[in-house]
Amino acid sequence: MLKVEHVTKYYGDLCAVNDLSFEVADGEIFGLLGLNGAGKTTTFRMIMGLIDDYTGTILLDGKKIDYSVTDHIGFLTEERSLLTKMTVLEQITYYGVLKGMEEDSIEKKLDYWLDRFDIKDYKNKKIKELSKGNQQKIQFISAIIHEPKLLILDEPFSGLDPINVELFKQTILDLKNKGTSIIFSSHRMEHVEMFCEKLVVLVKGKSVINGYLKDIKEEYRKKNIIICGDIDTKKLKTVKGVIDITKNGDNYLVKIEDKKYVSDVFKAISKCNNITKFSVEDASLNEIFIEKVGEAYEK
Amino acid sequence: MKNKLKFLTKISLNKKIKSKWFVIANVIILVAIVCLVNADSLVKLFGGDFDDTTDILVIDNTEEQVFDEFKSTYEQAGSYLEDSVKTDITLYEDSIDEAKEEVKEEDKVLLVLEDDDTNFLKASLISNSGVDVLISQIITSSINSVKSNLALNYYDITPDKLAIIDKSVEIESIKLDDSQSNDEMMELLMGVAFPIIILPFFMLTLFLVQMIGAEINEEKTTRGMEIIISNVSPKVHFFSKLLASNIFVILQGVLLIIDVVIAVIVRMATTGVSDLSSIVEMAGVGDMITALTTSGILNNLIYIIPLTLILMLLTLVAYSLVAGILASMTTNIEDYQQVQTPIVIISLIGYYLAMMAVMFDGSLFIRILSYVPFISALLAPALLILGQISIIDVIIAIVILIISIALLFKYGLRIYKVGILNYSSNGLWKKMFKAVRNR
Repeated sequence: MLKVEHVTKYYGDLCAVNDLSFEVADGEIFGLLGLNGAGKTTTFRMIMGLIDDYTGTILLDGKKIDYSVTDHIGFLTEERSLLTKMTVLEQITYYGVLKGMEEDSIEKKLDYWLDRFDIKDYKNKKIKELSKGNQQKIQFISAIIHEPKLLILDEPFSGLDPINVELFKQTILDLKNKGTSIIFSSHRMEHVEMFCEKLVVLVKGKSVINGYLKDIKEEYRKKNIIICGDIDTKKLKTVKGVIDITKNGDNYLVKIEDKKYVSDVFKAISKCNNITKFSVEDASLNEIFIEKVGEAYEK
Repeated sequence: MKNKLKFLTKISLNKKIKSKWFVIANVIILVAIVCLVNADSLVKLFGGDFDDTTDILVIDNTEEQVFDEFKSTYEQAGSYLEDSVKTDITLYEDSIDEAKEEVKEEDKVLLVLEDDDTNFLKASLISNSGVDVLISQIITSSINSVKSNLALNYYDITPDKLAIIDKSVEIESIKLDDSQSNDEMMELLMGVAFPIIILPFFMLTLFLVQMIGAEINEEKTTRGMEIIISNVSPKVHFFSKLLASNIFVILQGVLLIIDVVIAVIVRMATTGVSDLSSIVEMAGVGDMITALTTSGILNNLIYIIPLTLILMLLTLVAYSLVAGILASMTTNIEDYQQVQTPIVIISLIGYYLAMMAVMFDGSLFIRILSYVPFISALLAPALLILGQISIIDVIIAIVILIISIALLFKYGLRIYKVGILNYSSNGLWKKMFKAVRNR
């Protein structure tokens, strides 16, 4: 389990991370979100032990971060972290040994992962000869080859086609099921929604949203109502609590300020013809993110 | 952590040694050294002829018939230069016109000797397209010698009398300070020591500086450095780079020595010379040993060689430390090329000072410069060979160098820790000075 407690980090006068606290349990996928410059990279660097001049505590399985602990952390960076002149085998061996693995045991494990990602022919190819997507696969393998207790994934689907995204998703879920704690960071909210049970949204180093995704969505007052049928949109807009109506194919998406206005909307459309669908749904994480981050910036 | 240091060093070293450019460069160096040592055989192989003989036809129109005396004088003078000048002298009996025709057609040299009323002898040297300068000089000195003999006979001066006339006044050279060495001998020593010790060391130093910068920057241009530094301390990373680079440079130095040995073996095989003496003579080593013996340096070699080696090895460490620190501050190889310029200039200063060491004649200024780290390994051995500084001075240079290395480790490591994960050149120097101040 990773425990981040009241962590604050300053760069000169700039507060990069401000009193950040969160926990990632074993077998849990945790979302760390924020705009560029929000403090995500600084947080990752602190967890990885690359920055040690901060206040607060970071513990992995109850131990402070040091080189014996970082051996159990895997890190997939957003930017390329591969040494392109090396072959795939050399690269994975290099990072594997640095993570405390025995040199002899690495190749067998690599063979398994190369086979799983359908790139077993590339074992002795130089990294620079691989496509962007295949380089991402190698980078992913380098982060998980030592079976880490904590895995940090920063934009893991970057450069991947939809088929390989599915392959990665399945692998991440397998790792979760095996008990790996995973910190997931992405600007693609649909990916975060798909994986993360818990999340933190950072704005200027401070968390503006923190908790279980389910609770966050429930607590978010605004809801979406999806309606299929012939409705009078002009009339519906005058109903109290309705913020916006957009047409999406055969459906109408009606945004309302609060759950309590659902019955008013229902009453308003009950006189309309051919209503085949009326569904109340939580707002998407994307909407919540945009509104919360926007509010925090305005402050 | 020890295992990781060993592993990082191994990977870094393997990367350099297994590189195809390392193999290609060393093959080129080997070929170049073999060609250099066997230059004469090579020239012959491509049509150059060191055995080309010049035919000299002599028409002797003198009353005394001086041809035989001229020929013996010439051959005696030419015997010292037989490797570079080969001639065949014959008396020509036919007419001068026929001789000229032969000169024209067969590229021979014609010498016509005639009596002279006032100067005993006069000569004409006829060639088709000029005469080799050395041959011309030997002919001139031989004719002058013959003419002198004619004059001696004419004035009835015996060789004994002439010897007394010619005998130089003896000038006794007394040096009150015996330790001061002979200039010519010292120039000879430097002439040999410079290309075999100082120049290769200077080149290896530059090579080392380039190599460390390139390797650190290669890792810094990706986020790979974050993965590495999260698992090994910057100190271990730094040490691994220093170790690998220095081992590699030493290995390269050993390979250069092996290249020379191979070149000598090739020479022995191609020239059929089975003993080393001629090769030693060719390389000037024999002269150097004579000079070293005469100057008394040979007796101290037991101290000089280890001290010089220690000084050189420590200097390599110092250069690699500075190169590593500077490389950690830069974000790409282009920036590093600019930042490393001062190191190259310092090294160049040492190189030129060593080259001009003979001129300084033991001045205090150059003695102090020989203590300065980074320069000392180039300058001190040169001054030591020249006898301008003593072993004590070299020990002082080593002590100063060790202190400098300790300081570089202490403060440089602080910079390295900050610089290695720094990806921005904004406020770089401020960050580095701050890093030096922070513990």
